[in-house]
Amino acid sequence: MENIIEVKELAKVFGNQKALESVDFHVKKGEIFGFLGPSGSGKTTTIKILTGQLTATSGTATIFGEPVSQLKKSEYRSRFGVLTDSSGLYERLSIYDNLKLYCDLYNVPSSEIDKVLDVVNLRQDQSKRVSTLSKGMAQRVTLARALIHKPELLFLDEPTSALDPGNSLHIHKGLRRLNEMGTTIFLTTHDMQEAELLCNRIAFLDGGKIQLLDTPKKLKQRFSDSTITVELATQERVVLSAGAEGADRLFDYMNNNQVVTVHSNEPTLGEIFVQVTGRELA
Amino acid sequence: MMISLKRMNAILVKDFKDFSRNLAVSTILILPIGLGIMYGQTGPNSLEANFLLINLAFVMVATFVQCCLIAEEKEKNTLRGLMLSPASTAEIIGGKSLLTFILTMLTVIITIFFTDYRPANMGVIAVAFILTVFFYIGFGTLLGLFSKSVLEASVIVMPVVTVFSLGSFLPAFVDQYPIAKIGMYLPNIQLIELAVIVEQGGGFGDVLSELLIILAWVVVLFLLTRVMYRKKMID
Repeated sequence: MENIIEVKELAKVFGNQKALESVDFHVKKGEIFGFLGPSGSGKTTTIKILTGQLTATSGTATIFGEPVSQLKKSEYRSRFGVLTDSSGLYERLSIYDNLKLYCDLYNVPSSEIDKVLDVVNLRQDQSKRVSTLSKGMAQRVTLARALIHKPELLFLDEPTSALDPGNSLHIHKGLRRLNEMGTTIFLTTHDMQEAELLCNRIAFLDGGKIQLLDTPKKLKQRFSDSTITVELATQERVVLSAGAEGADRLFDYMNNNQVVTVHSNEPTLGEIFVQVTGRELA
Repeated sequence: MMISLKRMNAILVKDFKDFSRNLAVSTILILPIGLGIMYGQTGPNSLEANFLLINLAFVMVATFVQCCLIAEEKEKNTLRGLMLSPASTAEIIGGKSLLTFILTMLTVIITIFFTDYRPANMGVIAVAFILTVFFYIGFGTLLGLFSKSVLEASVIVMPVVTVFSLGSFLPAFVDQYPIAKIGMYLPNIQLIELAVIVEQGGGFGDVLSELLIILAWVVVLFLLTRVMYRKKMID
């Protein structure tokens, strides 16, 4: 599959502080790629370099097969969308007027506004002034703005950080639908559940370095201790190994109608992150 | 380079809606017009005095308003959104200057209407005014890009407002302070000199040097603004 983003030996230094160090990864076309890490790990710096808002100290980054320096060109900028924490809105204008501007800038018909507002669950609020919106609603408007031109590649920097669970779920559905229609998504988050739910592959970023990179399933398998937990009718929880001995004991429990639930003991992505980096995600 | 009028118009429409709800900046228009009304009541005035008001209208609207509009786009991070869109530098700066251009020309015309200034050659004055408004808008854009917030912009722009409005009195000090001769090349002074020649019956050929000096300022500011804009595209 074609790579839509390719990053090699990327480094960024601010003063004497290394924000990114020898970062290597690629994102395939049609993939949802998650960049996970705590605050200050270099997630936003990476997005800013990839979208041409920041220059790298060394290394290379290409998007659509072109160096990111080419993103100055109009034809490339119309192919991607960005949502970052610094994406601003015109506060005196309505949601509709904010999106109308971007429809005209991207040469998209105004009829797309209703569609994109459905994705972020704001259609009924489109005449509201942005200054009257809550932080979560404003974040959904900026997301709608990033989606309005159905970009080939979408950069999302913590897209659901200010949202309640209901709206996060709504946006996850919308992002999956967009991805099914062909949009590649580069997502940064510190929400492991979100990453597991949405991403085909994830990279753990800590201290400006990629510590791990794989599919969520493979990462969990790799860090699994190959045990299962059996909850018995007596409310006792028994941890069994996945080997022959464990199988015999499980058979006995089942034979005696003692088994209520069986769970494989895979670590969560959060636990894997702590195991690898020694740090909590926050 | 292709320029999309649709994109420029979209920015103009957005700016108009935003400006009409931004009383802190839109009420600035009242100042030169109000002064024009009061000044018009005082009877016949000298050309220099009329041009004090005209230059004030230029600098208060074209520079002050433009500076605040650009600074607000920076402060609220909306300029970055425009920069990341397919709109080119020319479309964004052009689009953002259109509203200020229209407002400045309207304010200057209304201000002149209330004074007793009636140009002897409307064509020459119109060309000079158009060049001058480009200069003031360029200056406002540059200062707006330089500022981090509207508050900072409104402070930075004040010395400019002072120099280009009260600067109309500069020729009176040239004999006393020869250093002030340098200031004679400022576009506001060139505009007054041009107006004097026009009132003496001069045409385009007679004011060519004044027009070229103003044009040179426009070109310099255009280049500086372009460099500053490109710099602000990257953190």
